[in-house]
Amino acid sequence: MLERRWVCSLDELPPGSMKLVDVGKFGVGVFNVRGVLYAIANYCSHEGAPLCMGLIGGTTESAPESPGGIRRVRDGQIIRCPWHNWEFDITTGQNVADPRRRVHTYQIDVSDGEVYLTA
Amino acid sequence: MSPITPIIDTCVQPHFRYNAEIRRYLPPAHQLRSIPDVEQQWYQAPGGDYRQDLYGEHYPGSDPETVSRHLFDDTGSHTRVAYAILNPLTRGNIADYLLNTQICAAVNDWLLDRWLEPDTTNRFRGTIRVNPEDPKGAVAEIERLAAHPKLVQVGVPMQSREPYGKPVFEPIWEAAAAHGLPVAVHINGGNGVDHPPTFAGHAHTYPGYAAFMPLNYFVHLATLIVEGVFGRHPDLKFVFADGGYDILTPLMWRLDTFWLSMRDQTPWVDRYPSEYLPGHVRFCWSAFDGPMQAGDMRRWLDFTAKSDLLMYGSSYPHWSMSTPEVAASDLRGLDEAQRDNVFWRNASELYGLKERV
Repeated sequence: MLERRWVCSLDELPPGSMKLVDVGKFGVGVFNVRGVLYAIANYCSHEGAPLCMGLIGGTTESAPESPGGIRRVRDGQIIRCPWHNWEFDITTGQNVADPRRRVHTYQIDVSDGEVYLTA
Repeated sequence: MSPITPIIDTCVQPHFRYNAEIRRYLPPAHQLRSIPDVEQQWYQAPGGDYRQDLYGEHYPGSDPETVSRHLFDDTGSHTRVAYAILNPLTRGNIADYLLNTQICAAVNDWLLDRWLEPDTTNRFRGTIRVNPEDPKGAVAEIERLAAHPKLVQVGVPMQSREPYGKPVFEPIWEAAAAHGLPVAVHINGGNGVDHPPTFAGHAHTYPGYAAFMPLNYFVHLATLIVEGVFGRHPDLKFVFADGGYDILTPLMWRLDTFWLSMRDQTPWVDRYPSEYLPGHVRFCWSAFDGPMQAGDMRRWLDFTAKSDLLMYGSSYPHWSMSTPEVAASDLRGLDEAQRDNVFWRNASELYGLKERV
């Protein structure tokens, strides 16, 4: 049963940070990615690790013309699972390698400077 | 047993009648250089590498008429072999790579002169042998011969001091793919400068060597995928001619697993590594591969859809060769479509051999 619940005030969730909300069995992580809020399950689609405890960063894409062959992209919107390094895009819940292996995403809204999660 | 027909034998090793015969095909500047004999290896099968009843005045597998009779006529009433792909050995990774390139060219000229051009029955197809340690020479050899209608693949040794996914080799694979020629990797004859032949170093007996040497293919395959060679060359195809497909599935699982975790280090690999197999990789049959119990074969081949990747090859005149009937018996658990794939359809599509099959 989905329920809208208060998370924190927007001031407490600056860009690049995450708040873990104690909801359901595993919790939900609320992220501020460059000023936009997203929420994903704290449960990796691989083996159930606490995904939201992982490092937030970017990922890479192929850049054949550059010397290293790699370009860094999507900075601040990728979370890496602390167990086996699987990468997920926080903005979509999709695994970067295999988009079919996604994690659940949730609705966020901000009202009067307060952040709410529907989960 | 229902008839097995038709068949494409994708792995036949023709030989010079005697080791020195190659000198007739070498240019004058290289004619008097020392060259290892074909069977000059550290590891010899007891009694010689080839079927003992084939040793005679000349080398086993060296007389086109005898080979034709064994491959095409003496196969029993159930079978009809429509084509045989000839992949001759060269003489090892000789330190003088320019000499080695000339040896490859001599082998190619000999194959055309003694086997392919005289064959009026049009059943033999051949291999352009090249020396990967001389990429420029290898590309030139492909360009010299690629237009010949009976040369259907490029051949390189399994033995290599670097895995074939390394960028130094890429121009060779690019040239092969541009001409629509698959690249066959096959354990070579002769003796050269090589790494230890197994992952446990130098085996001390022949069985240790023979059991594990074919598995080196996976080093080539893994680097071709991970270093992006297959991704950059969608038309490039590799044939691993010594089998080894029995270990393919667990090793691909490992590549797939690590890719999911560390894809960001090789972002040019834009799909599961195992997804490159159908479009890029084939294996020749080997008597050493697969479960001991024929009843388990079907289940084993179903993993990684290996019956789509496997092609019958006799390995004539090697001591461990399999006639079509022996291979059919080992594969008896397969359904008809899978068996057709292995005995002719996979090879027919790979080599464009459409007539008579």
